[in-house]
Amino acid sequence: MVSFWELARDALPALLGGAGVTVELTAICIAAGFVLGWALALGRIYGGRFVYAVCTGYVEFVRGTPLLVQLFFLYYGLPDVGVVFPPLLAAGIAMGLNTAAYQAEYFRGAIRSIPRGQVEAAYALGMSRFQAFRHIVFPQAMRIVIPAWSNELIYMLKYSSLAFVVGVPELMGRANLIAARNFRYFELYLIVAGIYIVLVWSLAGMVSILDRYIRVPGLGEPR
Amino acid sequence: MALTRKDVGRWILMKRIGTIVVLWVVLGMGAAWGAGKDVYIVGLDAAFPPFTWVERGEYKGFDVEVMRKIAELEGFRVEFRDLPWATIITALAQGKIDIIASGLSITCERDAVIDYSEPYWEVDQAILVRSDSDYNAITAFYGTTVGAQAGTTGYQWLEDNLVKKGVDVVLRAYETYDMAVSDLESGRIAAVLCDTDTAQGFVNAGRKVRIAGIVKTGEQYAYAVREGDPYGLLPKINEGLRKLYELGIWAELMAKYFPGRAVVPVPLVRTLDCR
Amino acid sequence: MARGAGCPAPLALPRGVSVILRELPWFLRGVLVTLEVLSGVMATGIILGLVLSVIEVYGPRPVSLPATVIERALRGVPPIVLLLLVFYLPWDLPPLAVAIVALGLCSGAYQSQIFRSAIRSVPRGQLEAGLSLGMTQVQTVLHVVLPQALRRAIGPWSNEFASQIKDTSLAYIVGVVEILRQARYVIAYTFGHSLLVYGFCALIYFALTRAGNHFIYRLEERLHIPGFETRRLAGERRW
Repeated sequence: MVSFWELARDALPALLGGAGVTVELTAICIAAGFVLGWALALGRIYGGRFVYAVCTGYVEFVRGTPLLVQLFFLYYGLPDVGVVFPPLLAAGIAMGLNTAAYQAEYFRGAIRSIPRGQVEAAYALGMSRFQAFRHIVFPQAMRIVIPAWSNELIYMLKYSSLAFVVGVPELMGRANLIAARNFRYFELYLIVAGIYIVLVWSLAGMVSILDRYIRVPGLGEPR
Repeated sequence: MALTRKDVGRWILMKRIGTIVVLWVVLGMGAAWGAGKDVYIVGLDAAFPPFTWVERGEYKGFDVEVMRKIAELEGFRVEFRDLPWATIITALAQGKIDIIASGLSITCERDAVIDYSEPYWEVDQAILVRSDSDYNAITAFYGTTVGAQAGTTGYQWLEDNLVKKGVDVVLRAYETYDMAVSDLESGRIAAVLCDTDTAQGFVNAGRKVRIAGIVKTGEQYAYAVREGDPYGLLPKINEGLRKLYELGIWAELMAKYFPGRAVVPVPLVRTLDCR
Repeated sequence: MARGAGCPAPLALPRGVSVILRELPWFLRGVLVTLEVLSGVMATGIILGLVLSVIEVYGPRPVSLPATVIERALRGVPPIVLLLLVFYLPWDLPPLAVAIVALGLCSGAYQSQIFRSAIRSVPRGQLEAGLSLGMTQVQTVLHVVLPQALRRAIGPWSNEFASQIKDTSLAYIVGVVEILRQARYVIAYTFGHSLLVYGFCALIYFALTRAGNHFIYRLEERLHIPGFETRRLAGERRW
């Protein structure tokens, strides 16, 4: 029987390729979630009754259901009505829609934590709603939201591992393919866990460095 | 902040509740653990009709009923457990289950790590395609994506005879055949290679698939126990199969699950020689 | 192949809906299993979290450092990887135990973070006062610091609770017959209606999460200490 280190050495190229897919998938879905999340947050704050209801309904529902179920729904459920996504697309959409709901909540909370007085002052100075948002609300909100947002980034990196159940060849998927041939599940998953730890710790490290540069003392602390 | 008696009392109450919860969890786990060896655990993949499936919380299927009847006749008790197919051989080798009864084909690689009973069934591999497609047995594998359940002889056949030989085909592994057929129906893959009776089962159940061809592999199904048969189950299983046939129960079960099929005496003669 | 006999519905319901209604008892059984997993995970998580957090805050360096490393490692591994890792351990654990152990480890690591910041938020003066009254360090921590810390921890802890309800769906992968796996079984033996069944599955989880949140909210109100608001930014997710 092949030793653990030989197994690791043989499997590593494929696993690292899978890790690349993991990182790509995470990056794309976070970016998509960022855009959609802002749209939802703005819809809830500035939108009329209908827009508010739709955005809130979406955010509450997506936050209240597991990502795995959402993934199955998109991949195996939608074909019933004729919408068929290939694995990577389905995973990306499911994850993107999921993280958008959570990001929407963080953005909304950040916006609401900005004292209303600042916005009123902006209007008093003659700024339009859009200008007030762009120059006063948005920059502060982005700074406030960084801890929660970076948390979300790391969370998505970890939960991208779910994509293997629909056949995406990311890290877990590659490990499964290798293990199906040589049955060395435990050791392979140990290596996978190690790779995830490396990825998560590096990301967390980068985030804390970023945080130290961007942090504005006193901003965003609970009042 | 003053610590009142009420706070301390509440803390003690929480501690008590916590202890009860912990005890309950540990006992629950312990009860599952110490099931004792008067009951043997039969591992199966519960998505392989008509041999195994789960309906309304009960295990059903040809293999399930045969195992139950054998256990009855030979005087031991069995309990079924659903496991992912790809892990079932490892689970048997590690002692997590005691018997496999799940449309398990005899192969030499498996024979090296587990012990088989005498065979009871014969199958080939069927090529399933979407009913409204015009693939045949050759075009289904030409520049397409095909699928099979991970760890099956079907998957192995595709890998050994197509992928490794450089045929232009993409092979996808699935957790269950049910998921593979779903992807087949939705058009994500062009073909699924599956044991003939199960493939027919999917067609009969009204899935939008048809059988485009058969790959003759001449496989046989057998039941399996851990290498060395530590509980002495193999003689009982073989004897049980014999008795089932002699008592006519085998014919009954065949009529129930495979109506119209000719009844062949079991156990069969093993055709695969691994020495 | 034998199938469950379906009788024609008196109402003209779409077939998928009548399937779901017929299989409702099985979904409910899945809910019970989910709750089983959830209670096991939360119990394990609380114990592990408390132990780890106390060690990390009060333990001497040689003990608190490994504890921190273990906690960080557990938080760096996706729960589904940990589930499969525990599943493939060489000894025989039934699926439920696998799920509780694996998800409990994940939850415990995260809860230790919650308890740790809660313990740290109790003013040092309390500890000193307890010690100056003649209590040993153990007594002070147990009777003075922890009760206060636990009260402060309730906010973030309830976020974790809501998160765990959803993470129980991951137990599907090791064979626990909870809601998602039950839904898959139903789809397998009724051959189709995936959209409706998965949608219904999502609805059940949604109802469960709502009920859980409501329960936690009531608990928070009961144990609330005015002036100790430590709610995180809009129910943020843990990693």
